Amino acid sequence: MSLLEITDLRGGYGPSMVLHGISLTVNEGEIVVVLGANGAGKTTTMRAIAGLISRKGAISLDGLSIIGMNPDKVVGAGISLVPQGRGTFAKLSVEDNLLVGAAKRRDRAGIKEDLERWYEVFPRLAERKKQPAGTLSGGEQQMLAIARALMNRPRLLLCDEPSLGLAPIVVREVFSLLTRINAEQTMAMLIVEQNAELALEIASRAYLLEVGNVVSEGTAASLRNSDAVRRAYLGY
Amino acid sequence: MQVFLEYLFAGISNGAIYAALALAIVMVFRGTGTINFAQGEMALFTTYIAWGLTTKNVPVVLCLLVATAAGFVLGAVTERVFIRPIERKSLLATLIVLLGLFLALNSLDGILWGNQNYTMPSLFPNSVSSFVSVGGARLYWANLGLWIVVAVLVGAMFQLFNHTRLGLHMRATASNRESAALSGIPVGRILMLGWGFSAAVGAIAGILFTPLSPDALGLGEMFPILIQASAAALFGGLDSPGGAVAAGLLMGIVEALLSGYVPAIGGQLQEAIAFVAIVLVLLVRPQGLFGSKEVERV
Repeated sequence: MSLLEITDLRGGYGPSMVLHGISLTVNEGEIVVVLGANGAGKTTTMRAIAGLISRKGAISLDGLSIIGMNPDKVVGAGISLVPQGRGTFAKLSVEDNLLVGAAKRRDRAGIKEDLERWYEVFPRLAERKKQPAGTLSGGEQQMLAIARALMNRPRLLLCDEPSLGLAPIVVREVFSLLTRINAEQTMAMLIVEQNAELALEIASRAYLLEVGNVVSEGTAASLRNSDAVRRAYLGY
Repeated sequence: MQVFLEYLFAGISNGAIYAALALAIVMVFRGTGTINFAQGEMALFTTYIAWGLTTKNVPVVLCLLVATAAGFVLGAVTERVFIRPIERKSLLATLIVLLGLFLALNSLDGILWGNQNYTMPSLFPNSVSSFVSVGGARLYWANLGLWIVVAVLVGAMFQLFNHTRLGLHMRATASNRESAALSGIPVGRILMLGWGFSAAVGAIAGILFTPLSPDALGLGEMFPILIQASAAALFGGLDSPGGAVAAGLLMGIVEALLSGYVPAIGGQLQEAIAFVAIVLVLLVRPQGLFGSKEVERV
């Protein structure tokens, strides 16, 4: 059994359906990437998993069904979403942002320990911990959003377009940090990304979405070599 | 000097209740994004409850506690029943619902307690001789008590906001509701608590303020206070609890001094001061004295 199992997921915004029956799985400790053009339903898939929109079908984490859960319950079940646009609490300090990420936890000592751990991994956040988070640069806010999600000690981390609006060198940094966290914490990740080349580099498997359906899936290597993916998303 | 001090004391007492209600308005605004027009009527309703209990010979302290708890429930239920299902539709709809609640509560007061005025017994000694003399002016215990309780209340609210986990979750919810939910905060419950606390603050303020003058408890008591408190909240910057409290006090004092020393304003034009303040603030500094323009880099 996979860690995350999604079967025939349907959902959308009000009467307009965006997802027409998506099925995908993420195994323990694995990085899986979801590719697709604008409007393919990538972000909607993430929002459906996180419980932000109404959805039908089956989603389970480690056998536990999360399909009817509110967003905060999904977080409690062990899935954290790093939302597109980062979801920074602009007026709160960097440290308060991180503490909000631990909203579902009660273990004070463990929370403190995790703060220290993520300050070590993201030293720029440590330097700015008393600063209002809205004053951070885009790259720093992306790091903050990831660290905030990690404060929940999720079993599965969802990342929605972590490269959006960032300089190429910062994008590299974000992806290498994700790889490092995946390896060190054996944390499973499901990443939605426009930058297909970079995403396929760090993923072990990939899904290709088109208008709310999975049209192709396989190992990262096999998708990289598929003509369809190369023409549409890699540009060579 | 003596006259000045007497105006000043009256101003601080008015200012304290403006400050408390302005704080309540800001608490709701930060979470829900609307001004709770029913804030004053909620305070009036709970003051009536407290008064009703005093007529049954219940000790005033106990009346205060019961009415405060009732205020908390009233606020929380209002959020859950009237606001939550409507606010996602539109902000305007929420405002109309709150205006409706304003009228409904006022009518309910009328049905339950009639339209005559009552004198609310004070928590503190309140006879003609229970005052201390400060520079020749009389400072009544009831006034001093009001100041102290409001100060403690405001202090407690700031402690809650800035130094507790619940306060952090309230601030996060106010800052970015979706992100708060994605971090595991039960947003609905947090908003409900915020409304509950704000109505409880209003209840305490109403119960302490009403005894300051005889026959003050009546159907029209809270409306002018709500206007002043809204002006204070706006003046202080709608998202700044500290600003609301400072502006509330300031408005009370300025109003008392102006109506005392400028005969043309007197007791009649008092409320116009709030309107002038609202217009001036919106013209000169729309974000208020202490309100923040959102600083955000993307």
